[in-house]
Amino acid sequence: MNMLNPIFARLNKMPRAALITIGLFVALGTFAPWLAPQDPSTQSLLDAGLGPSAAHWLGTDHLGRDTFSRLIIAANTSLVSVGSVLGVAMTIGILLGTIAGYHRGWVDDLLMRVVDVGLSIPSLIISLAVIGIVGPGYWTMVLALALAWWPMSGRISRAVAVSIMSKPHIEALRVLGASPWRIYFGHLLPGTIGAVMVYATADAGTAALAVATLSFLGLGIQPPTPEWGQMLVDALPYLESDPRQVLLPGLALTAAVIGFNTLGESIALNRIPKPLTRRMLAIRRAEVASWGKENSDA
Amino acid sequence: MSVKRRTFLQGAVGAIGLAIAQGALSKIAYAQGAAGTLRVAIAKPAGNLDPQSHYAIWAIQDLMFEPLVKYGKGGQIEPCLATDWKIEDGGKTLHLTLRQGVTFQDGTKFDAASCKWNLERWMGLDQFSWMNCSKHFQSLEVVDDYHVTLHFKEPVLALMQELSYTRPTRFLSPKSVGADGKFKEPVGTGPWRQISADDTQSVFEHHEGYWGELPSYERLEAKVVPDARSRVAALRAGELDLIGGFWIAPLTPEEGKQLEAAGFNVVVDPGNVTLVMAYNPDRAEALKDPAVRRAVSIGIDRAAISKVLYHGYAKPAGNMFSSALPYAGTQSDAPVRDAAAASALLEKAGWTGSPIRSKDGKPLTLELVVSPDAVPGSRVIAEVIQSEMKEIGIDLVIRSVDHASKHTDMLEQKYDLGFFLTYGAPYDPFGSIVGLCLSTFHNDVEGKLVTDPVNLDPLINAAMAATGDQIQPTIQKVYDWLRDNDAIAPLVYVPSIWAHSKRVHGFSSPVTEYDMPYENVLLAE
Repeated sequence: MNMLNPIFARLNKMPRAALITIGLFVALGTFAPWLAPQDPSTQSLLDAGLGPSAAHWLGTDHLGRDTFSRLIIAANTSLVSVGSVLGVAMTIGILLGTIAGYHRGWVDDLLMRVVDVGLSIPSLIISLAVIGIVGPGYWTMVLALALAWWPMSGRISRAVAVSIMSKPHIEALRVLGASPWRIYFGHLLPGTIGAVMVYATADAGTAALAVATLSFLGLGIQPPTPEWGQMLVDALPYLESDPRQVLLPGLALTAAVIGFNTLGESIALNRIPKPLTRRMLAIRRAEVASWGKENSDA
Repeated sequence: MSVKRRTFLQGAVGAIGLAIAQGALSKIAYAQGAAGTLRVAIAKPAGNLDPQSHYAIWAIQDLMFEPLVKYGKGGQIEPCLATDWKIEDGGKTLHLTLRQGVTFQDGTKFDAASCKWNLERWMGLDQFSWMNCSKHFQSLEVVDDYHVTLHFKEPVLALMQELSYTRPTRFLSPKSVGADGKFKEPVGTGPWRQISADDTQSVFEHHEGYWGELPSYERLEAKVVPDARSRVAALRAGELDLIGGFWIAPLTPEEGKQLEAAGFNVVVDPGNVTLVMAYNPDRAEALKDPAVRRAVSIGIDRAAISKVLYHGYAKPAGNMFSSALPYAGTQSDAPVRDAAAASALLEKAGWTGSPIRSKDGKPLTLELVVSPDAVPGSRVIAEVIQSEMKEIGIDLVIRSVDHASKHTDMLEQKYDLGFFLTYGAPYDPFGSIVGLCLSTFHNDVEGKLVTDPVNLDPLINAAMAATGDQIQPTIQKVYDWLRDNDAIAPLVYVPSIWAHSKRVHGFSSPVTEYDMPYENVLLAE
């Protein structure tokens, strides 16, 4: 339990609402197949566009499919695709970033110019180009977004790696004759991953939005897999006659994106040293005072 | 500065009042600017209006250019620039009597000489060999100022029908072309002459010397609004009077329903275009078996698709052509969905197992290629079919492509199942039969719906060579072959949907999807 305390303490500093939203999103996404009350792809055309009822808690869509089940399964789709996109992008980014940070010199210059090029082209355009060449599909979309996403994490990883490399303990390791492998895998990589993962949270919201955008354009997740962006575009013709169909996936997507962004922002803010508040100052004083007591005890 | 509640409320009320007044004023302003003008939506700029090219919006060409004969309701051929015609020599000679007193919009007289000049611009050219009258063209003879005789090498099937097409058959002023004989200005004999045209709109006014009756309003504006929702919004805002038409500015059944609910007049015509699903046995081995094709066909719930996706505007199709077309053949009812029978057929054909059937270790997976840009609403229909196929143990994969890819994929036969639209009046039934089903006919736009050089081609060729009373029974054999072999799966007859504002009176749907329905319209000011 004691081990978990620092984690709880850290979570306590996060905005409660964002934490609950993202917690719910991750939980729903993870356990979606067991939570969805009905098969999200089962159509009943004659029940299309029904309002909420006991049989369909949030009503049905334009093809008579259960909206509640589709929203839940779509959380899973989003979670998996966002996770895969960030996973692939982070792997490429961290790998290249740390290599650049470790090696410096011309390797650094070369890799960072590649990153510059990647950063200078809007991510959606890169994704559209990749999908245009390979053709639409789930894994194409993941690949396309990952290719668009890695330069950002590459840049951050390199900065973190450079700062780690200039720390005294790395110098000590070198003096002791540690092999480059040991320095890279034992010290540089773990340190960088930890720092960069934090930024991944902030990016998750944007990635979720990108997945929805591509699906909205018909280039991402293909039917019948439910996805929020696709649910939105499917419901768009009914915006006037049945706004519920548009609002529900729209709200789900908005909540997830705002949740991730708020969370990411607060994580980033928590890492910046803040000026002491009066309350914190009092706590520090009490703590310092207790040191004296400990000393006198000793 | 602090704001008092009273000040805030006053300000808010004032702002709302201003907004309402502005909205009302702009509506009045639109209505005033539109007096005597019919404002129609077009989905893209009208394009190059050369009657001998293939790019313009048909309906815009229809405003300015007239044919020798018009295609009337049910395929009735009506006089237009020709007042009388006689087919002799078993279909090899055509005597035309031209209308007198017709002038082009630039004042040039329409007579045998200008008729000859026009016909020779396209008849007999390779480029237009898809039309029988051009393929079999032999010679043209001017009898006198208003009589022309055409000679053909072979009897021409549906000759008068072909002469009613929008392009390349319509008449252009001989003086409107450049020195090199190439198209320069759109000058026809029609009731409307083009005043201006750009990427935002094409404007037309009366051709004062028109031989027929001119519309009661003086001006027609075709406004370019590419987005369907913007068109609906513009109609509601009073910026447009008329929207719809499959090739002009399509209106979906859902939009039609919403406009109807909002008090607009929505006019639905059963239509003469059929949405047909094609099987590609060359790519999907399983579809070589007629039993599998039959199972797919009866696994589709056409009635529910018509009722829910088309809001009842469309009718389930059991034939390649609806009875609205001539020579459409004996009409059979649309297949009713029977999942049990479909499953039994597949079982008998050796496809067993669940949830996805397989045979010799191969799963029954089919790829359906759709392009919502090319066939509006096709993606949703595909999703419905996907779910219905799942119930009978077929794994249907939907591949959405853009308009351009659809054309190349269909041409290269990169699909197992695909959607086709028949051409509709005035081209059908012969246009689609030849263009989409005859293997020897080179079609580099849509690809082929179904081909069978051994069995189907002879039937089609026999129907094409038939004359008079023989046409009906020979073309029926083509339809029978298609049905007996489950070679295609007609889904629905696509309705023609139009919506207009209260300003428009007397509107009726055009006879073909290629015409602009301006004729009977009266504007109430």
